[in-house]
Amino acid sequence: MTGMAPAPQPETDAPKPAGHIPGQPDMWVLVLFEALVFTAYFAVYLFHRSASSELFLRSQADLNPWLGTLDTVLLLTSSMFMLRCVQAARAGAVRTAMTNVCLTAALGVAFLASKITEWILLTRDGHGFTSNEFFLYYFFLTGIHLLHLLIGFITLGVIIYQLRNPKRRSQEIVETCATYWHTVDLLWILIFSLLYVVR
Amino acid sequence: MSGWRNDPKRELWLAWYAMIAFYNIFVIVFFFMTHAQPPPYPFWSDGQVVHWFNGNHNALLIGFGIVFATAALTLPANALIAYSMRRMSVSRAFAYCYLVIYSLSALPGMLLLCVVLSVGAMRPDRDPAQLHWLYDFAFLSYVGTMGIFLIGSLVWMLAILLDKNRVLPKWFGYLNLCNALTEVVVSPAWIFHQGVLDWNGLISWWINMVVFGIYTSAFMMLLRQMIQREDFGDGPLPDLPKTPKAPRAKAKVTALTGTGTGTPR
Repeated sequence: MTGMAPAPQPETDAPKPAGHIPGQPDMWVLVLFEALVFTAYFAVYLFHRSASSELFLRSQADLNPWLGTLDTVLLLTSSMFMLRCVQAARAGAVRTAMTNVCLTAALGVAFLASKITEWILLTRDGHGFTSNEFFLYYFFLTGIHLLHLLIGFITLGVIIYQLRNPKRRSQEIVETCATYWHTVDLLWILIFSLLYVVR
Repeated sequence: MSGWRNDPKRELWLAWYAMIAFYNIFVIVFFFMTHAQPPPYPFWSDGQVVHWFNGNHNALLIGFGIVFATAALTLPANALIAYSMRRMSVSRAFAYCYLVIYSLSALPGMLLLCVVLSVGAMRPDRDPAQLHWLYDFAFLSYVGTMGIFLIGSLVWMLAILLDKNRVLPKWFGYLNLCNALTEVVVSPAWIFHQGVLDWNGLISWWINMVVFGIYTSAFMMLLRQMIQREDFGDGPLPDLPKTPKAPRAKAKVTALTGTGTGTPR
């Protein structure tokens, strides 16, 4: 015990000064780390794409760009509702915050349904995980992103849990979960650009 | 000597040094001696596999002999991680879950590879098809079962995020999630014989190994700090005292006399 600093006070949810990082600063480690990991995945994808660009272009033409665009619109709109949820929670408007987080979750479910539909349609057309190199990357990147989305639903559940009880409500946790949701959105925009848009 | 005997943290330090020793032995044996890591190619022919066994014959037998003699060092290492969860304000169930998961995962995730490759190396005159079978079995059991470890990472993550005793920083909780997500990526090794997702693929092995290396280095450093901060209470762990910026000569004297930290002498 000797030489130790006094025990710290329990964590509080005191208001932070203007210009602070939203949520727990620790969450940004995950954001940065996931960004680095996905950058590595994208670098590997682009390297192999440049090696067999004709195959990638031909396979890319079999994707439905409208479904990809719909997915992007769904996630971007969900992020907008998440933003409104955080703002409402900050202002103490719990009811509005709850409505917005539910709308975020609904759009997340719509994205999930759209992605599964797209997978089914592609599989029916004979494009599977092992069909060729492009579809290996397509199913891998969209699959790992979907896993992130499923974890995102847990974070939405945490926000609802926080909002429901004024005693345990923590704006910091709400913002931390929102940061994760926006990360999932950001990753999708990059995946969408690489798989559907870049020629 | 008497300082070490009376140090209440000596068991914790023993566990920590056992962990460091294990990971050092692991790297030396798997990467440099036996060349079982990075794993050789899954698409090799019978002849290439026989050549690999012949080329690494002595290293496989001696290297894995060392692993069998020292594999039990993982137990204090896992126990120290479980201890970190016991020191948290969360249920003991987290620590027990982690211990059971990691103790069981070590069988398919490490020891089975050592046994099977040793069997292959023991009689190099076996039928090449049989040797190839052993080769596939060994690397699939090792790389293909990495996903089992991800549940352990999630258990540790959850404990850290729920903890109010500040035993480990929250960012490490999130790093556990990153590690778990890269472990998932290894599972396609069961499907692919070549490419980025096979058992030594760029995505399934190399990127995963970089993440695992960063994760392992982080928890070694954090567990060391946890032991230094340990006060054997049940409330929040105290922070380490901030060392004032002292002249170099003074800092040297402090280091020589061993005062100021809880490290063993």
